[in-house]
Amino acid sequence: MVTAAPPSFLPRAGLDRLIALLRDDGRRVIGPTVVDGAVAYEEIASTADLPLGWSDEQSPGRYRLVESPGPGRERAFGYTVGPASWKRYTFPPRVDIGRGRDADGTVTYEPVAPEPDALAFLGVRGCELAALRIQDRVLRDGPVADPDYVARRRAALVIAVECTVAASTCFCTSMGTGPEIARESADLVLTELDDGYLLRSGTDDGRRLEARLDPRPATDDEVAHARASVADVRRRIGDPVAVQGLPGRLQARLDHPRWAEIAERCLGCANCTLVCPTCFCTSVTQRSDLDSRDSVAVRGWDSCFSGDFAKVAGGSFRWRRQDRYRQWLTHKFSTWVDQFGAFGCVGCGRCVTWCPVGIDVREELAVIAPPAARRPLPMAAAAAPGDFTPARVERTWPETPDTTTLLLTDVDPAIAHGAPGQFVMVTRPGLPAVPISVSRYHPEGDAIELSIRAAGPATATLSSLAPGTPLGVRGPLGRGWPLEAAEGRDVIVVSGGIGLSPLRPAIDALLEDRPRYGTVRLYHGARTPNDRPHKDDLATWAARPDVEAGETVDRAGTGWTGPVGVVTHLFDAGRWDARDAVAFVCGPERMMQATVSTLEDRGLRPERIHVSMERHMECGIGLCGHCQLGRFFVCRDGPVFSRAELGDAFILEGV
Amino acid sequence: MHAGDGVAAGGGADERVYHVEELTRVEGEGRLHLRVRDREVVEARLNIFEAPRYFERLVVGRTPDEVIDIVARICGICPIAYQLTAVHAFESAFGVTVDPPVRALRRLLYCGEWIESHALHVYLLHAPDFLGLPSAVELAKLDRGVVEQGLRLKRIGNDILAVVGGRPIHPVSLRVGGLYRAPRREELAKLRADLDEAVELAQATVRLVAGFEAPEFEARRLLVSLRHPDEYPMNEGRIVSSDGLDLAPQDWPLAFREEQVEGTSALHARTHAGEAYLLGPSARLELAGAALHPLAARALDDTGQAGELATNVFRSVLARAVELVQATAEARDLLDAYERPRVPSVPWRPAPGIAAWATEAPRGLLFHRYEVDEAGIVRRATIVPPTSQNQAAIEADLARFAPSVLDLPHAEATRRLEWLIRCYDPCISCAAHFLDLSLDRDGGPA
Amino acid sequence: MPGLPLRPRVGVVKLTSCDGCQLTILDLEEELLSIVEAFDIVDFPEATSSRSSGPYDILFVEGSVSAPDQVERLAELRARSTLLVAIGACATAGGIQALRNWGEVGDWAATVYPDPSLLQVLDRVTPISDHVKVDVEVRGCPISPDQLRELLAALLAGRRPQLPDEAVCLECKRRGLTCVVVAAGATCLGPVTRSGCGAICPSFGRGCYGCFGPREQPNVASLVSRFELDGLAPDEARRRFAGINAWAEPYRDAIPRGGGARPELAAAGVPGETEAADARR
Repeated sequence: MVTAAPPSFLPRAGLDRLIALLRDDGRRVIGPTVVDGAVAYEEIASTADLPLGWSDEQSPGRYRLVESPGPGRERAFGYTVGPASWKRYTFPPRVDIGRGRDADGTVTYEPVAPEPDALAFLGVRGCELAALRIQDRVLRDGPVADPDYVARRRAALVIAVECTVAASTCFCTSMGTGPEIARESADLVLTELDDGYLLRSGTDDGRRLEARLDPRPATDDEVAHARASVADVRRRIGDPVAVQGLPGRLQARLDHPRWAEIAERCLGCANCTLVCPTCFCTSVTQRSDLDSRDSVAVRGWDSCFSGDFAKVAGGSFRWRRQDRYRQWLTHKFSTWVDQFGAFGCVGCGRCVTWCPVGIDVREELAVIAPPAARRPLPMAAAAAPGDFTPARVERTWPETPDTTTLLLTDVDPAIAHGAPGQFVMVTRPGLPAVPISVSRYHPEGDAIELSIRAAGPATATLSSLAPGTPLGVRGPLGRGWPLEAAEGRDVIVVSGGIGLSPLRPAIDALLEDRPRYGTVRLYHGARTPNDRPHKDDLATWAARPDVEAGETVDRAGTGWTGPVGVVTHLFDAGRWDARDAVAFVCGPERMMQATVSTLEDRGLRPERIHVSMERHMECGIGLCGHCQLGRFFVCRDGPVFSRAELGDAFILEGV
Repeated sequence: MHAGDGVAAGGGADERVYHVEELTRVEGEGRLHLRVRDREVVEARLNIFEAPRYFERLVVGRTPDEVIDIVARICGICPIAYQLTAVHAFESAFGVTVDPPVRALRRLLYCGEWIESHALHVYLLHAPDFLGLPSAVELAKLDRGVVEQGLRLKRIGNDILAVVGGRPIHPVSLRVGGLYRAPRREELAKLRADLDEAVELAQATVRLVAGFEAPEFEARRLLVSLRHPDEYPMNEGRIVSSDGLDLAPQDWPLAFREEQVEGTSALHARTHAGEAYLLGPSARLELAGAALHPLAARALDDTGQAGELATNVFRSVLARAVELVQATAEARDLLDAYERPRVPSVPWRPAPGIAAWATEAPRGLLFHRYEVDEAGIVRRATIVPPTSQNQAAIEADLARFAPSVLDLPHAEATRRLEWLIRCYDPCISCAAHFLDLSLDRDGGPA
Repeated sequence: MPGLPLRPRVGVVKLTSCDGCQLTILDLEEELLSIVEAFDIVDFPEATSSRSSGPYDILFVEGSVSAPDQVERLAELRARSTLLVAIGACATAGGIQALRNWGEVGDWAATVYPDPSLLQVLDRVTPISDHVKVDVEVRGCPISPDQLRELLAALLAGRRPQLPDEAVCLECKRRGLTCVVVAAGATCLGPVTRSGCGAICPSFGRGCYGCFGPREQPNVASLVSRFELDGLAPDEARRRFAGINAWAEPYRDAIPRGGGARPELAAAGVPGETEAADARR
């Protein structure tokens, strides 16, 4: 066992030398390059062929290349995976595998011997390395190896690159395949920094290559910077798929009604299987000549979604689209494990992005085979109850007659970097800890805003604190709004009264990254014009040309010229297509029920409607038992839930 | 075996009928019917009986880009002619100018179609007539090399269409404003080598057909084609005639009209003065030969037969062969000069009004006219294919040529009449699809 | 498939069509002379003046049925043929001219022809299989030379021809093309259209327009929803199916009243200039 050398550093210009060395060695270098509006893997001659400065936006059913802002303009690997995968080179779409001949009264057959070119793959991501390992297991390491695959795989040198960006469709973290890359899993591993690359070699070939590049040792700063950017990717992706026990859960749901619902959307086009880096199903066809009796057997990519795939003389065993989708999904996440000892999915997200109708396996798995309970969050600052960090009231101002906003400063940075929709526990010596949603984050200033309604004595006390008063804060707690689920889609945000406060950071985030989303619609309802919180923001948002906003009140006083009535009237009759939209809803429970019902009538799918639930919360981490709602603890598993996961708990009284 | 059906079907002792129920080696379904009484031609018909497809109605209510894909289906042999004429019509109406490399690619497409169409006609459809054979299959038995040479030429034409247009029949790359995609230089590289071969094959074709013996049949006809000051006419040019006509391509209706003729279901186009006229390779060489590629001009000169093109329609096979040299040599030049356009297409905005244009299909001038509304939707269409324009001239020639075959055995006489018809390379499928007899057609543009 | 003699007698005939599919036979340039050795082409009026009225071991029929005399002729041809092969969108689905099925034929005739009594046309343009038994259908507008070659090779070898009914997407992805729906918002019929062309349109950066007609298990409704999400008005989204294979189920059911034609003064939501401006990056 060789002890791993410390990482080295290759300046940006060194990448061209790397490519040149590989080409000098007689290898064709296959790397990322922009073709027809997407990053493809094709032969490259120099860094000029790489997607310098390109990044991508991905969401279910949508992919666009975009120019990277700022320092990203220099980067060669500032994109996530595109539609191409390396299997095109290790397991090509069409391969001649045998020849047959009928001549002089004898029939002869001979296999076609593969003669692959020596290749170097440049830019293989963590999920893609995992895909190569999966295909190794299926095609190389089984009882009978596929000679074509073995030869091609052996002929390829693998240079991996760690991801420093994530797409909204990524879920390598859940599948355990990335974004970090262990040096042993590739010949050479690169991590891109602003001015060059951190190098780690994992094989003798890689070490020799690294030595020829003559890199200098990396500084501690460079190593730390590289770690931090990969860790940031991990944090951005989160953990969207509950893989623990998934194979069994899925097998138990072969009769779930959802399969038929998916089939209404599923085109059966097979794109998911063909962009998948692990799918290996093929069919052999004969190509025969007109002049003689020569024929060639050609093996080509096939798919469990094509009609002939499961066909026998009497018809197809899986004749409905729902049968085919179920076959695919259960193979990837269940039976593959039985066959090959690992999942058939690496979490690259290609099947999500490249589904023309945006069917999202993460969403479907959560509906068909939900985990028994939601897993606890990785809680950075969620220490035990009683472990508060200090903060200070900087300033306060009234929002409505009964609600006051406190600007807290000197807040623990973990809290100031919390997510929209999360909450904190706030206290003062002598006061009970009160759960309050963060109504705005100021991460650069270690500050947050809390909008507190004086509903009882403790909240009344907190509302009236004077500037300068110190207090204790715990958090951030709970799960917030799933902004990643809204990327690339239209978003509708509906709030009632002070319910706007927990939504305000989500709206901030939507508007800060406006191009990532489709149409943004904001609707707010209040009892009276006086009861409107965050009035300046409401006015600012309404004035933006890239936002559709509407407001209503139950009872108009003098001076109100806007609509009067329930908030659903603002959007239930409008001409807009809700089928692909995501909704965030917060307000009194009655208002949320009416809103959700209207949205469902408009065609929004229940798993895309998210609501923030209120319950009695004390510990904030699912230990004290107060906040139970059906199978959930609202403090830990919520407060934001999708309508789909709440089920009856959303509408039943007394739960 | 259908040729000669109805021999002496007439009642009188001196009446003869030459009838071919279904013409062969032409595109589409047509019928020849010639009746002679006392050595006087009393009826000469090229009867088009193919069922109509209503194309001028099918494009109504459609967007310009939909029209491009629909009109291709008028003809499996010359879809580019229909697509390009429509593209130019819309672009001229909407004030769209395309980049020079895009224009070059479109011309390259047209060259591909001329090569494919002319090679098909010269070798597979027409050559057997000169050798007294029923088909190219029989010709291959005598001289396989000649047929292979023709197929190779046709193949190279088709390859141009496949690379630039996606496929030889009903290509998909043309759109208003440019192309959906322009090929990279490397994609054209393979064609370049083939085109050296194609030019040589085309030159060999000229030598081959110059040796074909043909009946003597001299006649003066009114010739019509496009003419362009800088290039041999294909996509662009003014409409000119051997009578000195000189018109913008949009103004076709000012000089010509279509009329209904009893007994045949296709329209005949004539000049407003009622004259029949001839389109196609011979007309182009005669009227626009000054713009021939030097290699094509030399190939024609070397035959010493240039003078016969205008008067003997049986020499049209030579004109077609010379145009094979033209199209292959020009395609080669276009490839050498090719730079991939920066963008394959430019945006455009529809404008209400008349979109009209004429181009040179392999068989001759093709005219399109569309009325579009504010959204660019077609509200009315007129498409005049070359064969329906040639039809009056074909029938006039049949009548003129008939006396020279009357003393031949009936079968041979009929064969010669059918041969004459093939000299015009009629595309009956195209012609039949325009049985648009609406009254407003006679009056030209409203 | 019935057994065929060693050198089968072949006929190639047409009904209403553009001749492009029979021309595809002549477009198999390299193999053409081998084909005429392997098959005895006894009737092919577009290519030879030698004629025969059958019987045929294999009869290729191009074109749709759109005139009354064609119905009779087709029945006679069928009776003289062992194997009848319908080639092309016209023969298998009615073709582009079937768009007139959305109008009143009398109406159209009256507006187009001064004397409709001269016209011998049927009310509806229909595929051959509406009238006679068809043994093999080769789809496409035009048919694919590769599929034609495969059919001929399979007939000689005595096996079922490989004419897959999968989606165009499979060919598109095997070619390594980028999905134009996902990456460019194109309206592409590939997911509901049968493969065979080689995914030509996506390779040119444009959406498939359905030359090969519906595939097995096409989900037209879901694709229409996707087009609507991309901003097409519902009728516009559904009008995408009013093309070459409009009369084929289930394209036919998706098409709005009036077929492909947009009504006058109702041009809103028409993809015109904006779509052109959305030229690929």
